[in-house]
Amino acid sequence: MPHTDATSPRPAGTGRGFFLRSAEWALVLAIVVAVVLTALVDANHSYWFQPYASLRDIARNTALLGIFALGATVVIIAGGIDLSSGSMIALSGTVCAATMLLVSPGEMIGFKPAGPVAVTLGCLAALASGFLVGTLHAWLITAIRLPPFIATLATLVGLRSLARALAESATAAVTPSKNNLINVADPFFKAIRDNVWIPVAVFAILAVLTWILLTRTVLGRHLYALGGNEEAARLAGIKTENVKWFAYCFGAMTAALAGLFYVANESAASPTNQARGHELNAIAAAVVGGCSLAGGAGSVTGTVLGTIFMRVVIDAISKIIKTGADVYEGMIVGVVVVIAVTFAQLGQMARGGRHLLPGALGLCIIPTLALLAGGVVAMTAGSGVGIAAGIAAVVLLGGLKVWEVRR
Amino acid sequence: MSQSGPIAVTMRGITKRFPGVVALDDVSLTVGRGEIHAVCGENGAGKSTLMKILSGVYQPDEGVLEITGVPRRFAGTREAEAAGVAIIHQELNLVEELTVAANIFLGRERRTRLGLLDDRRMTAEAARLLESLDCPVSPLATAGSLRVGDQQLVEIAKALSLEASIVVMDEPTSALTEAESARLERTILRLRDQGTTILYISHKMDEVFRLADRITVLRDGRQIRTVARSATTPREITGWMVGREIEGHAFHHNRSRGDRLLEVRGLSLPWPDHPRGYRLKDISFDLHAGEILGVAGLMGAGRTELLETLFGAAEPTWSGTILLDGRPMRFRHPREACAAGIGMVTEDRKRLGLFPDLDVAANVSLCSLQEAARGPLISQAREEALVAGPVAATGVKTPGLHASIMGLSGGNQQKCIISRWLLTKPRILLLDDPTRGIDVGAKAELYTLIDRLCREDLAVILTSSELPELLTLADRIIVLAEGRLTAEFPRAEATEQKIVEAATM
Repeated sequence: MPHTDATSPRPAGTGRGFFLRSAEWALVLAIVVAVVLTALVDANHSYWFQPYASLRDIARNTALLGIFALGATVVIIAGGIDLSSGSMIALSGTVCAATMLLVSPGEMIGFKPAGPVAVTLGCLAALASGFLVGTLHAWLITAIRLPPFIATLATLVGLRSLARALAESATAAVTPSKNNLINVADPFFKAIRDNVWIPVAVFAILAVLTWILLTRTVLGRHLYALGGNEEAARLAGIKTENVKWFAYCFGAMTAALAGLFYVANESAASPTNQARGHELNAIAAAVVGGCSLAGGAGSVTGTVLGTIFMRVVIDAISKIIKTGADVYEGMIVGVVVVIAVTFAQLGQMARGGRHLLPGALGLCIIPTLALLAGGVVAMTAGSGVGIAAGIAAVVLLGGLKVWEVRR
Repeated sequence: MSQSGPIAVTMRGITKRFPGVVALDDVSLTVGRGEIHAVCGENGAGKSTLMKILSGVYQPDEGVLEITGVPRRFAGTREAEAAGVAIIHQELNLVEELTVAANIFLGRERRTRLGLLDDRRMTAEAARLLESLDCPVSPLATAGSLRVGDQQLVEIAKALSLEASIVVMDEPTSALTEAESARLERTILRLRDQGTTILYISHKMDEVFRLADRITVLRDGRQIRTVARSATTPREITGWMVGREIEGHAFHHNRSRGDRLLEVRGLSLPWPDHPRGYRLKDISFDLHAGEILGVAGLMGAGRTELLETLFGAAEPTWSGTILLDGRPMRFRHPREACAAGIGMVTEDRKRLGLFPDLDVAANVSLCSLQEAARGPLISQAREEALVAGPVAATGVKTPGLHASIMGLSGGNQQKCIISRWLLTKPRILLLDDPTRGIDVGAKAELYTLIDRLCREDLAVILTSSELPELLTLADRIIVLAEGRLTAEFPRAEATEQKIVEAATM
């Protein structure tokens, strides 16, 4: 039937306007709004009084997240998912530090420069570990035929444990006691930590290279084709296994690269907690930037903006909520991601006549959301305001429900 | 047309639009209780859309639907089922991993007093329903292990379990053997005698004339005629369906057959975990340059599997020999077949051919993108130049090379995919049901295109679910039935009758 061809929905916001897509302009706007809001609400007004320090923090954090968010982007465009990048960061940092420790133990233990040979070997070993993990993922997914979610869930758990074991073995080999933290005091890493432009420049170069890869190369086109329709890609003669291999190696190696910057930032490889949970930030940055988890859609521009947005929001939380900001960080980031992705679908929902609060599920979600809103507000701003917020949420959502039923 | 007795279904002024197409235009229909009403029309005439509106899959844009005199507007199939309307789709909707009984009661599971599944009762009821249908299938067999004909009966059992008073069947016999069809016809007549109203879509005139009380003919979404069976003839119906005298427009004259390109000998493809044991068995044929070889067969006969095996897309477990230019070939990946000069336009365009997120140019250039690259980088200008040739040659109508592929009509999408393969400069083109879901005008264009390619010395293997298409285009026709090759006809000897007989052997 001819009609079946015309019913496929187009994602909202894909129209290309001036320079950026409309959804990307919306993201730019959201970033500006978040920054202005923080500047106004923050009691210390740090954006006014210390603009450079604030910018430096955001730039460094954006670069660190962005480097492996680019990797996540490529994997997601190819129709996969990599849950392991946080653990990969811990592993690569540990591999780097352990290699340096074994090459020049005396200098490393004495907090002295480890020398260019040790640093070079350490960095190369770290990147190599990324390649190996990427290859492992590709094999698990294409040859063993594990779903990507399962394969990388296994390495999410496994790699961090491996990194800790590696840290303990390496320290036990050269010091009297084993330790799950390796200090790195080499001037190379100190320089990276003190010069924010280095991670920023690396992120910028990597972003440009990834952009060229995705938009201007045969491999890039095949990545989109694979993610868009895997079976059709195979039947078009694309070696889908090899394209996947590349995608997962790219994902793991960008995480490995980010791992070096994490080590520099903290002057240590600390596999127990380093970058724990950060894989989800990278996936969120890609998704907020327009990647579809179904594969086949996404862009470097979107991910860069998504990363900036994520970091600006996290920074805003820490500026506005002075004490214990990290407690609320996950919650607020979660809410913001849901809102950003929902926002992109709102137009489609309205056109398709879909309801936001359908049936009994719609009824039950009203108290759930009201409790969530009221609770968060009560804990941050006091119980009176919280109760008011909860009641307001019930009234608003109830009104929406009534409107949807009447329509 | 007046209707005596109680009325089961009334449709008045039903109009349904899809983006770019008016699928139904002001269709009005009245069906009496206990009537068998056939709906006839070519592919794309709107038959399925009309039936889907009746059964709640779609909502009409305009018009009124009444079930036993009560105006209804179904928001989904569940509401239609509650009102006593059940549909049996052309593509069967069984969960293959579940048992027959579980499928019959899916979504309406019988429960014990404790709220747990009452498997014993469901099995017993399923057995009773199946028995009433003459269906010798165990309710405990998994649905996926059944033959298509039996699966169809399971779907009917499901409709019966709903105690539906109105049953809609969308081409129920298209995949059945003759014996199975006869059994189904008996079932339909018995249901009618019990007072069930049946709306029945079919292409097969003999069947329609054996069963139907009245016949409605649709063409291009418009209702052409509704008549009593006794007042018409099959020839008149087919005439209304196509809207013109059926012309035997044959393209196969004056084609010159070239060298032998492909020799297939004793090709078999096993089918593990299936009672039949094989998807293809002992298939042998030749293919020459400049000829079109038609492959006929019912759904599930192995047409797609045959093409996929030649293209290196099937599991590499096949046995037998495939000689290309006299040399044995064993492709492990479509890429190797592509390099050897074979292209394949897949059956299910949406699922296996199109890349919805890529634009027209990228969809066409995909297999030969390396030619548009300078060094590692793709040059957009070169890509456009590369694509423009075949896009113009195949007559794709598109607002631009960078338009969305999903915005094109089915016929134009198909031309894009043919263009994709023409860019690889193939010597053999495998076309798997290339005109499925394409309107009549676009079909004619595709026929002309395929004929022209063939005259340019391309060898074509064409499968089709429509016999007239094969008879129009092919120089020779081979017939598959349940994975075996049962006949080979030169064009001059092939008739629909002979092919159907061989396909149901």
